[in-house]
Amino acid sequence: MPEVYPVGMAEIRIAKAPDALAAYGVGSCVIVAMYDPKSSIGGLAHVILPDSTGVAPDRLNPKKFADTAIPLLFQTLSHAGVFKGNLWAKMVGGAEMFPPTEDFSLNIGKKNSEAALTAVKKLGIPVMATETGGTIGRSMVFRLDSGRISLTVLGESSKEI
Amino acid sequence: MDDVLKLTKEQLDALREMGNIGSGNAATALAQFLNRKIDMDVPSAKILPLNEISRLIGGPEQQVMGIFLKVMGKLSGRFILLLPTTTAVKLLKALMPGFESSTPGKFSEMETSCMREIGNILAGAFLNALSVLTRVPMLNSLPSMAIDMAGALLDSVISDNAAVSDYVLMIETSFIESQENLRIHIFLLPDPKSLDRLLEILGVK
Repeated sequence: MPEVYPVGMAEIRIAKAPDALAAYGVGSCVIVAMYDPKSSIGGLAHVILPDSTGVAPDRLNPKKFADTAIPLLFQTLSHAGVFKGNLWAKMVGGAEMFPPTEDFSLNIGKKNSEAALTAVKKLGIPVMATETGGTIGRSMVFRLDSGRISLTVLGESSKEI
Repeated sequence: MDDVLKLTKEQLDALREMGNIGSGNAATALAQFLNRKIDMDVPSAKILPLNEISRLIGGPEQQVMGIFLKVMGKLSGRFILLLPTTTAVKLLKALMPGFESSTPGKFSEMETSCMREIGNILAGAFLNALSVLTRVPMLNSLPSMAIDMAGALLDSVISDNAAVSDYVLMIETSFIESQENLRIHIFLLPDPKSLDRLLEILGVK
């Protein structure tokens, strides 16, 4: 039986077909998926914040921030023997869960998606599909036999990217 | 205090006691508002790894209503109420005579506004008690409300608090109205920069 490995907040995980990777109840976080169709190896980074600037290096958990987690995901895949030229990326999440009021807007989702896109482009990895923004939470399963991502949101039928 | 893992048992006890005072006042406000008897769980001050937060309320995909406010002033933080949508419907029935829920999970503008007001009243009562205790005025922002998966609602609220620590300090309690089994979870997350000041005021720095 293929396994489905959940990837929680500030985690990075890679796996190989026929297994799958999943992230459940994603709001403003951004999930970056990278995949090599030749080896059927892929990975997920569950990013919670856009930018690690200003965080003391001894306190820095690189898996949290888009600018550090995405290069780390790429490195982890490289160590597993994946060639950069084969890789593509997909992105999910970055929603604004709470409508802004007169007093505040969190706006973290948008910053996360923008920072993730910048970080992926900086690595020169093509972005195949994105399902980001909006105001709804998402769950996703990343199938490593096909590289397809199935998405579910509350009360709506699922979608694939 | 850049790492909540360094908190001592004494400090956590003081924070829990603070939560007790705040939620006691909020429970009284809710009881008066609904004209019902409201019981309260003993609050806890928990240090949770990022991953486990949504497990508190039935898993990351559990559908809940979240009412979120910012705490503003010298002691700042975030305040969030999470409740099952069935509880929200029961509260609306108690408050709005003749209320019939239309589509489950979809609330009209009036109903949304009513739920935000409940959040406002509970947060106001909670923070009032804390202001008296700490002698630091605390104000709450206008509340924002959303219905979605618990994990998705919480990640946007806690992410800023998690910049330097992999753990989040949450002061948690729940209200129970026994007749109809209403459950409301209250979480208070002090901003990391306010935590030191708070501990100092509570005399446990």
